[in-house]
Amino acid sequence: MGEVILASETCDVANEVICAPADVKELFEFEVIFTVFGVGITKTIVLTFLAAFVVVALLYFGLRKRQLVPSKFGSAIEALLEFVRDGVAKDVIGPEGYKYVPYLTSLFFFILVGNLFEVTPFINFPITSRMAIPAFLALVTYVIFMFMGFAKNGFRYLIDTIWPMHVPIGLRWLVGLIELVSVFLLRPFTLAVRLFANMVAGHLMLTLLLGSGVIFFTAVGDIGIRALIGVPWFVLGVAIFVFEIVVSVLQAYIFTLLSAVYIQSSIQFEH
Amino acid sequence: MEGNIEVLKGAIALIGYGLAAIGPGIGIGIVVGNAITAMARQPEMAGTVRTTMFLGIAFTEALALIGFVLFFIA
Repeated sequence: MGEVILASETCDVANEVICAPADVKELFEFEVIFTVFGVGITKTIVLTFLAAFVVVALLYFGLRKRQLVPSKFGSAIEALLEFVRDGVAKDVIGPEGYKYVPYLTSLFFFILVGNLFEVTPFINFPITSRMAIPAFLALVTYVIFMFMGFAKNGFRYLIDTIWPMHVPIGLRWLVGLIELVSVFLLRPFTLAVRLFANMVAGHLMLTLLLGSGVIFFTAVGDIGIRALIGVPWFVLGVAIFVFEIVVSVLQAYIFTLLSAVYIQSSIQFEH
Repeated sequence: MEGNIEVLKGAIALIGYGLAAIGPGIGIGIVVGNAITAMARQPEMAGTVRTTMFLGIAFTEALALIGFVLFFIA
């Protein structure tokens, strides 16, 4: 939000009707704070490490003392863990799924914390709205399900995908082509873009709505009663704020769920 | 002249994204509508239906996401 207010300094609210930021990239690209070994550290990198640290701290303090009746915080963390273990790993992958619980848990918690940075006061930036992070997480899932597919089924995994025997011969090449593109290219791609697009859209909406509200309120001295235009923007912004909390949790869940589904479809490769 | 073409390209990309969103919009509507029907008929299956519904939404969404990316590339 600070960025839009910076942009608004060049905009005369009293005369101009629409104040557009010069370039929307300024909401997502930050300046280098300091340099370590030639690598520029930006706000995004600091927040990424902070997210990892928060995840470790949550799990450590939540599960430090094992009690018969855990504390409120401990049982909340346990409920989330149980949700990933039973609701995602066991339900989707089956009994084999317990092997993937550590991966899915770290994925879920990291994305959840990264997404919730969007609505955290004084941070207000979802790290998952930079393509690098969802792309890398999707790449890890891609490597896992490709590796497990070939390890469990051998080369039959590739052949059965492009030449499915259960499809009538006339359509087999078409179905094979669609399956090939969908399994090997579109799956990791859409997995990454879904998270990225949702977070970019959320961050933009929140910044624009709350930012315009604040700009109109602070300009009340210049434009007088017209500052009331800011009220609907601000109210809508607060409504979207609550909605974005739901979106953050939902997107973390969907990313984890789809990772599990992709792993399942490659290790139990029988149509 | 050069600037006009740039603006026009952006506008066409925007229209393209809008067109790409129609199909997935209808598809997600069908998926969620049928999931609600199923949950209302068999509330005891609500958990399974909800998981499957999210999966269906995720697969249907793929086309809209491709359109979104093409909008950025164009």
